[in-house]
Amino acid sequence: MTLFARRERRSPTANGRGAPRRRTVPRNQRLAPYLFVLPNMLIFAVFIVYPTINNFNISAYDSNNGRTFRYVGGRNYSELVDNAEFWAAARATALFAVCFVVLVTAASIGLAMLLDQRIRGRGLFRAVFFLPVLLSPVVVGLIWGWIFDRNNGLANTVLRGVGLGEPGWLINDKLAMTVVIFVALWTHVGFYTMIILAGLQGIDPTYHEAAMIDGASSWQRFRSVTLPLLRPTTMVVVILSMIAGFQAFDFIWTLTGGGPVGATTLMVQYIYQHAFESPIRYGLASAGSVVLFCTIFGLTALNFLYNHRKAAA
Amino acid sequence: MTAQATRSKTRPAGTWTSTGDRRPPATGKVLTYAVLIALSIVVLAPVVWTVLSSFKTQAELAQRPPTILPDSFGLTNYTEAMQTFRFATYLKNSVVVTVGATVLTLMINTTAAYGLAKYNFRGRNFLFLVTLGTIMIPLQIILIPVYQVASDLHLVNSLWGLIIPPAATPTGVFLLRQYMLGIPDDLIEAARIDGAGEFRIFLRIIVPLCGAPIAVLTIFSVIWRWNDFLWPLIISQSQDKYTLPVALAQFDSQLVVPFNYILAMSVVSMLPVIIIFLVLQRHIVRGIASTGLK
Repeated sequence: MTLFARRERRSPTANGRGAPRRRTVPRNQRLAPYLFVLPNMLIFAVFIVYPTINNFNISAYDSNNGRTFRYVGGRNYSELVDNAEFWAAARATALFAVCFVVLVTAASIGLAMLLDQRIRGRGLFRAVFFLPVLLSPVVVGLIWGWIFDRNNGLANTVLRGVGLGEPGWLINDKLAMTVVIFVALWTHVGFYTMIILAGLQGIDPTYHEAAMIDGASSWQRFRSVTLPLLRPTTMVVVILSMIAGFQAFDFIWTLTGGGPVGATTLMVQYIYQHAFESPIRYGLASAGSVVLFCTIFGLTALNFLYNHRKAAA
Repeated sequence: MTAQATRSKTRPAGTWTSTGDRRPPATGKVLTYAVLIALSIVVLAPVVWTVLSSFKTQAELAQRPPTILPDSFGLTNYTEAMQTFRFATYLKNSVVVTVGATVLTLMINTTAAYGLAKYNFRGRNFLFLVTLGTIMIPLQIILIPVYQVASDLHLVNSLWGLIIPPAATPTGVFLLRQYMLGIPDDLIEAARIDGAGEFRIFLRIIVPLCGAPIAVLTIFSVIWRWNDFLWPLIISQSQDKYTLPVALAQFDSQLVVPFNYILAMSVVSMLPVIIIFLVLQRHIVRGIASTGLK
């Protein structure tokens, strides 16, 4: 399948002998494609393309109440730079995203390697690991928040039972971030494992056979055959998980609420709070989302370039 | 994915034919099972624990140490949450939004995909590029300007506001368009010669051939819309417009609804997607394998 079909100068109905397309294609066939794409493209334009452009515009205005807008140029950005809360959210987002991408990529490769063997109940295991992907993130956060509750949660009940104390999971800021990362892994690892599994099955077994004939151990085969051939798939997982990591919001909302004292407040929550909780600061929040947008866009581009060079080398 | 499934079906369990899948040493295999079973417990335990606890009374939930099984499997938590705390309304809203948005998604995504896949027209490649580009722009990043558009169009605090804006999924257009490229043009030409109109060709020939990608998109759309949170959170401003996830999040944080009811409604929110998954599991796995989309 080609991504970009070259636009053909002649329509398939014209027999290719140079009759101009407009004359041979009936009017209804010339009009039809526009009508077919119209509803979808209209929604794209109104709810995605225009807002994306307008976001830059809004970030140059200040609205202390959400109703009136006053042009302030780059002042929202300079306010962001001076805002400790913004830096805390940016740092937390970076920490979360890095940990999430690294751990989820490693875990899904590991899990996919286990599931790629000929074992009994493989389909069942796959379904089990996929289950959290289906659940509402709100519910996931809610359940884990309850399990990690200090006094009456399942986690501490078990720990108390084996005499390991009762850590304040969601009260200590480092532990809370650990829990957030863990829950993100729990939710998403099954999804990325599916992608890796599909990639593993695309690897020609003859490479492994050749390596085995040369006496390579299973670890050597993993390092020198599986990982390099899996690179395009791994790149997809890294990019998707990175985008997901920078957008994390909903499960954290019900898990920690961004606390304790903002320790798990990530960028999207920061943007949400400045835009929809009083005092309403659309401009400032928009400036934050422009920063987030550029970060994701830049990192995705870097990822492509890096892998492109690796693949070419 | 499918090839794998059929391969394992035709081959008796426990035989290792391909040298690529040489029988692992016994200890390695035991370790594999141990790790997989341990991880399965980590995945399943919270869900099972939630389902069991959703039948408990408030007093049972507060008990220390907690009991594993509830005293009875009566449905009082479910019925009371529905009646006393109006969860029936939120459930209804969620169903209306999920069904409405999915139907709309299927209609506009299939037509758009067909237009992009099977016609030559000015601006086609540009529109396809826009489609690809919008995949990379999630709502979270353009929250404020989208909200303003919705507000200008009077979509705030209405279920239409939850149905229309997310319905044009770029992933759906992409998925269907790639599939439709594989449908031979001759089929369409033959229908034209027989005098079929353009829309009739689409409806009678193209749509029936696209069963697989339409199934995949249906599943994805249901999961997306049913579990959506951030967009409904800013659009549903009065309680009677809440969807299930919004109601759960708001009432849990404000502690207005007893936790046993929250748990029961959490289980209600899990059920439809789990049922759909079990019924259409094969399509989901194939869809992810072929597109890498979420």
